[in-house]
Amino acid sequence: MNKLLLSIALFLYSSNRYKNFKKFVHNVLTDANNPYKKYVDITIIFLIITSVFILIYEVKHSVPEWLDTYDIYFVSLVFSIEYLLRLWVHNDISEPIVKEYKESLFLQRDFLPMGVLKEGLREKVRYMFTPSALIDLLAIFPAYRPLRVLRIFVLFRVLKLLRYTKSINQFTEVLASKRFELLTLLFLLFFVVMTAGIAIYVMEEHTNPHINSLFDALYWALVTISTVGYGDISPVTTEGRTISILVIISGIAMISFATSVIVSAFSEKLSELKENRIIEQVNKSKSFLLVCGYGQMTKMFFRHYGGEYNNYIILESLLERMDQARKDGYEAIHEDASRYETLNKFNTDHCDITILCLTSNDIENIYITLNAKSISKSIKVIARANDSTMLSKFKHAGADHVIMPNKVANSMIHTAITQPTMYKAIHAILTGKSVARIDEIRAYECKAIVGKSIESLAFKQSKLLFMGVQRSGKFMFNPLHSEIIQAEDILLVMGRKISLDYFKSLYKEKG
Amino acid sequence: MSNKSILLFGYGNHGKFIAKGLVDDGFEVSIIESNETFYTQAIEDGFEQTLKVDVTKDEDLEALHPELYTQLVCVMDNEHLNVFLTLSLRSLFKESYILAISDSMHTTKKLQMAGANKVIDMYEVSANKIHNILNRPVATQLLEEFVTHKNGIGFREYIIPNESFLHGLMTDDIDLSKYGVLLVGMIDEELGNHFSFITAGINHKLDSGDTIVCIGEAKKLDSFESLIGK
Repeated sequence: MNKLLLSIALFLYSSNRYKNFKKFVHNVLTDANNPYKKYVDITIIFLIITSVFILIYEVKHSVPEWLDTYDIYFVSLVFSIEYLLRLWVHNDISEPIVKEYKESLFLQRDFLPMGVLKEGLREKVRYMFTPSALIDLLAIFPAYRPLRVLRIFVLFRVLKLLRYTKSINQFTEVLASKRFELLTLLFLLFFVVMTAGIAIYVMEEHTNPHINSLFDALYWALVTISTVGYGDISPVTTEGRTISILVIISGIAMISFATSVIVSAFSEKLSELKENRIIEQVNKSKSFLLVCGYGQMTKMFFRHYGGEYNNYIILESLLERMDQARKDGYEAIHEDASRYETLNKFNTDHCDITILCLTSNDIENIYITLNAKSISKSIKVIARANDSTMLSKFKHAGADHVIMPNKVANSMIHTAITQPTMYKAIHAILTGKSVARIDEIRAYECKAIVGKSIESLAFKQSKLLFMGVQRSGKFMFNPLHSEIIQAEDILLVMGRKISLDYFKSLYKEKG
Repeated sequence: MSNKSILLFGYGNHGKFIAKGLVDDGFEVSIIESNETFYTQAIEDGFEQTLKVDVTKDEDLEALHPELYTQLVCVMDNEHLNVFLTLSLRSLFKESYILAISDSMHTTKKLQMAGANKVIDMYEVSANKIHNILNRPVATQLLEEFVTHKNGIGFREYIIPNESFLHGLMTDDIDLSKYGVLLVGMIDEELGNHFSFITAGINHKLDSGDTIVCIGEAKKLDSFESLIGK
């Protein structure tokens, strides 16, 4: 028995395919950043909605058989599969068994897998009793036909939606943050309802024809205290009415208390919720910019080019500056980019992220660079440095590009003095504002140019000036006209934007 | 004074590097500084033509004879002083070419109002650079190398001499690539002092006296220079 268990565990543990598949399922079901999760979510939500619709429709109409079959078998089957998958990926049993086996080999003691197996199964059972797992389970039940009352469990399918709707999750989270206040209130409510209910029961049980049991009395107390006041049961004696007055007054107090607790909970969390929304939004896009700091540099950058970037977030750790950024009309959140948690919120696995470290503090910028690179090497970092001695440190930290405003300005001044004619030209090229811009054509983006010689390309026709080719990190200026373009090449050209677009379109069509 | 003389106000953050770069390029640089530390620094760095002057006094500025220099460059570390200096120089010397640096976007406006011919905004040029890196990383890097002549390739401007073989040719017809250089743009004297790029789509006629800007390897640029003189 133990041997069989061990061989299964070893097989699963060593099988990469199994592991990858499990990981994939886990991500698809639980990782909000996984691109495929969206589709799973949409399918489940669709099933839930149709199922509830059928339940409502069924009340007054007879449902065609195929729809019934769909509801009973298909939806339930999908839900059962989902339930089992969630249970399966919740934890891993094979790994602890293998570990236990290795330990027993090492210590030369008997291999006793039952302990860890039990522990693993216990963990699964623990999962089964979490509220969301229970809801999942109950949502499968309506498939059991003989018990008609189980149909109402379809409503658990609605509760299943909770898992798929972020806003409701956030709502419960907010309420959970005020658990203590709300529990106190609930306890108070329970106390008042019980006291008032018992009191009215004692006072009026004999005189009031509507109060026949303690349940009636408690029901009356709750209806009254909640200010709903149906009026189906009302006190008839002076004593009873006195109790009513007290219950109503405490009811008003309690409702206002509850409202204020919930409102304050929301206003406390509002900015956080808002920021989470912004983060979620940007996480959905393929590539985005994270701009750290809202100082002069960032302001200037956005003033000039803000319109060209749609997917960006400004991270600013100072509240006033963050407010300023929002006032200026930019997406900004109040976060410290040097914290691991901050950057980790972003979808580093599935998006191309470029971080601009533009704070005026070099140490801060280096720290952010390191922070970003420690989370994922694929995050591109463009950092600003003020001190030239910091340059090597930035390179060491892994920054892809380092900008030194001082140095950039100095070299511009230098050019302006030494080559005044050229300065205009270079400035125009650098800002890309004029008719001339130096731009790059990536061969893999215009596949049709690959394999062609330079002289056969329509540079002249599209009024582009061909300057050279960047091939495997080396730039070849003005290469021979017979040179053949390779797939990895980047062509450097000068010209107007329309020329460039025209050139690209020429070779896109043919490709 | 030679043709390439610069009067540099300020030897701080910017002045220091600009002065060095200019001297390396064969310019004659005179440095004016009002701060004692920076003044001593400049002397220590070997700039003999350094003067300690209170730039807020007009008579001291006049004594420097800025009108004799080709360009006045205002790069004082103190922003306020820099603006004031620009204003003083402009009011005293209407003809001078004043270049100033700005450390913030508010200052840029002030410097322009004070009368600087050209203001270089540190943040603006850096913002441009970031934008360029994001959109065309390779081109940006290469262009920078061209400007700083880092990989041996650079821009150069030529004035077409009389009797040059280029005289009378149309820009669309000439292909300089056989000389190892590329024609980037030109200033056509007939059409005013306006720089136009070769890719703007206008067919220019080259005349002697026009300025053309070419890009190429330093050696090729040298040999091309001697070639157009023939």
